[in-house]
Amino acid sequence: MAAALQVVAVLAGAPLVMGGMRQVRARLEGRAGGGIGQPYRDLRKLLRKQQITPQGTTVVFALAPAVAAGSTLLIAAIVPLIALGSPLDSAADLFGVVGLLFLGTVALTLAALDTGTAFGGMGSSREITIAALVEPTILLAVFALSIPAHSANLAAIVSAAMQNPGQVFSPGSVLAFVALVIVTLAETGRLPVDNPSTHLEVTMIHPAMVLEYAGPKLAVVEWASGMRLTVLLALLANLFLPWGVAATDPSALGVLLGLAAITVKVAVLASVLAAGEVFIAKLRLFRVPELLAGSFLLALLAVTASSFLATTTQ
Amino acid sequence: MGILLLVPILAPLAAAALAAVLGWRRLSAWVTILAALSVLITAAVLGFGIESGVRFGVGDLLRVDSLGVTMLLVIGTVGTLATWASIGYIDAELAHRHTDQRGAHLYGVLLPVFLAAMALAVLANNIGVMWAAIEATTVATAFLVGHRRTRGALEASWKYVVICSVGIALAFLGTVLLYFASLHAGASSGQALDLDVLLSRAARLDPDVTRLAAGLLLLGYGAKVGLVPFHTWVADAQSQAPAPVSALMSGVLEAVAFCTLLRVKSVVDLSLGTGFLRTGLLTVGLLTLLVAASMLVVQKDFKRMLAYSSMENMGLIAIAASAGTRLAIAAILLHVLAHGIGKSLVFLAAGQLQAAHDSTAIRDVTGVLTRSRLIGASFAVGLAVLVGLPPFAMFASELSISRALAGAHLAWALGAALPLMVIAFAALVRHGTRMLLGPPDASSPAIAVPRSIAAALLTAVILSVALGMTAGPLTDLFHTAATQLGASH
Amino acid sequence: MTEATYTGALDLAAGAFLLTAVLIVWRRELSAIVRLLAWQGAALAVLPIIEGIYQREPAPIVVGVVVLLLRAVVLPILLARAVGTEDQERRESTPLVNTTASLLITAGLTVLAYAVTQPIIALDRSPTTRALPAVFAVILIAVFVMVSRRRALSQAVGFLMLDNSITATAFLITAGVPLIVELGASLDVLFAVFVLGLLTSHMRVAFGGTDLDQLRELRD
Repeated sequence: MAAALQVVAVLAGAPLVMGGMRQVRARLEGRAGGGIGQPYRDLRKLLRKQQITPQGTTVVFALAPAVAAGSTLLIAAIVPLIALGSPLDSAADLFGVVGLLFLGTVALTLAALDTGTAFGGMGSSREITIAALVEPTILLAVFALSIPAHSANLAAIVSAAMQNPGQVFSPGSVLAFVALVIVTLAETGRLPVDNPSTHLEVTMIHPAMVLEYAGPKLAVVEWASGMRLTVLLALLANLFLPWGVAATDPSALGVLLGLAAITVKVAVLASVLAAGEVFIAKLRLFRVPELLAGSFLLALLAVTASSFLATTTQ
Repeated sequence: MGILLLVPILAPLAAAALAAVLGWRRLSAWVTILAALSVLITAAVLGFGIESGVRFGVGDLLRVDSLGVTMLLVIGTVGTLATWASIGYIDAELAHRHTDQRGAHLYGVLLPVFLAAMALAVLANNIGVMWAAIEATTVATAFLVGHRRTRGALEASWKYVVICSVGIALAFLGTVLLYFASLHAGASSGQALDLDVLLSRAARLDPDVTRLAAGLLLLGYGAKVGLVPFHTWVADAQSQAPAPVSALMSGVLEAVAFCTLLRVKSVVDLSLGTGFLRTGLLTVGLLTLLVAASMLVVQKDFKRMLAYSSMENMGLIAIAASAGTRLAIAAILLHVLAHGIGKSLVFLAAGQLQAAHDSTAIRDVTGVLTRSRLIGASFAVGLAVLVGLPPFAMFASELSISRALAGAHLAWALGAALPLMVIAFAALVRHGTRMLLGPPDASSPAIAVPRSIAAALLTAVILSVALGMTAGPLTDLFHTAATQLGASH
Repeated sequence: MTEATYTGALDLAAGAFLLTAVLIVWRRELSAIVRLLAWQGAALAVLPIIEGIYQREPAPIVVGVVVLLLRAVVLPILLARAVGTEDQERRESTPLVNTTASLLITAGLTVLAYAVTQPIIALDRSPTTRALPAVFAVILIAVFVMVSRRRALSQAVGFLMLDNSITATAFLITAGVPLIVELGASLDVLFAVFVLGLLTSHMRVAFGGTDLDQLRELRD
């Protein structure tokens, strides 16, 4: 039940997160902003439009939005956002989640290549470059997190963190958190790696890939990227601050509490992120690898630090 | 007797203090020479009574054995020659406006400080203090190397300070690790770095940590000796430094650093057996020899040529030290002494050639022997000493080193080193004869020789010849030193 | 202070020490690098202070305070004064190794440090020795900074990092070297930095800058 609720919550909450972040930014920049509900209106508008498919595109182009959205929803179903112990618990492995994330990325890059346009190719080459740098970092950070829990299972990591709250402030955990924040930014195409609201094709990464989509397909793509951000933020929050996550086989009250907790956590994280974006500029593309190499290094240090601590406590 | 050990350190420091107060004056310069002489005299006095074994002074902070006496002899001899020649050198620099009163003042203070730091390095009992003294030589000589303030001199002193500081920092890390091992071998924290304590507990040092420490110490002090891989400062610093300072760096400083390595080796060998450092010393020694020989062949600058010749000799004694027998150690000590005096000769003569031609290019200098008998003869004698021609002492020491290597079943190393030495020999002789004998150019400037430099050169020639005739009582001293270092037969 | 807090505090200090080194590799602003170096000095000073509080001994605390003064205040100020006033002097010119590669090399060096320190940890399994790999990594990183940077000041920073990390090693594995050695070492470092600072200003006069690429007068 909790898993179904998670999927619904992510599905419904994703536009809210996007809208909230835009609104925070707008207010901080002194604009009125479109309101928190604007993404819903955008999605409704797009869904009502006629379906247009560029000439010469194949089934790859047609299926990519569905794959991207589907993989993200699958992640939402298996990770412990509201409660532990989803029906797919045995598959709720951090490595599995990373794989699913990459599946969505690859689907969109292939679709962009499928259109055969210059911007599509440029966008996908950039996206893959970044993804290639991000993946090792995620794997390392995950590894660092799984050392104290002695398992890469997400539920196990979260419950280990719940039992031993002091561990969150160990050097290994702090380093892994910073590394994961950086890669989350890169993976979801936020500043300073990519600018989600850019209209300048030359600097685009993610927007360049989806330039050829229109109508309902574009709606799905946008929705998927919103969900991706939401799921990752929620996961980040729960990995390091697992307060309020309901136990296995939760009561209705537990589920509600869990839902409230995760909503608050995501809201806070998203606001902080949006507020931070006001103050930073997009990095030049060739300096992005520096940032990602830095986060890779932090993740590596996290692994080293965690392994010291793990051996000390034994 | 213990107080005697303080003389080689305090006398130069007192001279430095006087020079700091007086500035560059005849009086302070002469006191500095006296201070250097007092190092020599102390060494002689200590040498006569050393058979009784090792002496301690100032609690157990200072410690002198035959190796220490030998090194004091080298410091005293070359120090006296260099400080003596400094009078003429600085006067000429002032006259040519290459430096000013402030520069001369600084020179007068730093030179005796440099001597004191080297004396402390050979007398310290605690290898940590030894380290601090060696690092102090770097700091003291930094401005001596860059004394002329030209672009080249600044570049040389920057490279010198950076490379030597890094090397010496590695040696400090090695020292810390050795301290750690020594503490775990049961030494008390105040004495765990004392040489006598380390020697007595060497067998109980943890081998893995000691191996790491020994590697770092070899690399670190090797930097100061001018061994590969931190050798790149040698040619720059010794070619840019004032001639008396070059003589001290090449003839004494490198030897003092090597003496530290020998002491470390005596501890490490007891802990790990001779195999570990033998491999290390052979590797760096042969590589250094290779670099030096190849650079000598293509050399166009006579001061750099002399610097590479220092590297060649240091490489050779590193190889000799790997044999580690009593014969080898005694040969090393004789080699170091003869090399120190020989290097003073060539560097002081080269300094006058540089002053006369305002250039250090080999092609600018010809027919020296006909133009200035004294400089030509000194340069010729110095080169003859350095390439190991009989009757000079380095002929004997190189023969002994060959015998020692063959005796220690290292004939292959001898086989590898010999061709390189022959190459270096040929290169030195070729460049040397070109400078000394070539047809004198009509436009060649006159070579001025100030009196103090002439006196220092003459003394050095006499010493070289005398040392070549007979090492006299020194032979016993060298053999005692080898025995005290725990060398096998 | 309990054993667990003690271990945690030591790990945190050693981690901060390593982190400053990594950030020094990352940043190119000379003033930022010098500020990071001061933080590194502070992290270094915390090590003996934690030790002193845990063992209830005043001596290490005094050492810590002296280290704090020297390495977090005096030396960075000396260096900061050597930072040029001209605009072009404030940044590291393009380093020999680009930042991305530098960071990856740093990662490799950290792993290497972990491997190299195994025999030392094997000899003494106390919490202090366990934190050694982090400090040892800084030694390797410092050497790397020295060979890969082109500004005179960056090299001086690398040298100080090297020295910081060796001192930290001494604190961690032997609770500090004997006082006379520590004194000698500190004096030497102080003088060395002083010398490097003076040489930097002389170089600025002679070469019109402190880019070490200009040091090309002496070669064979």
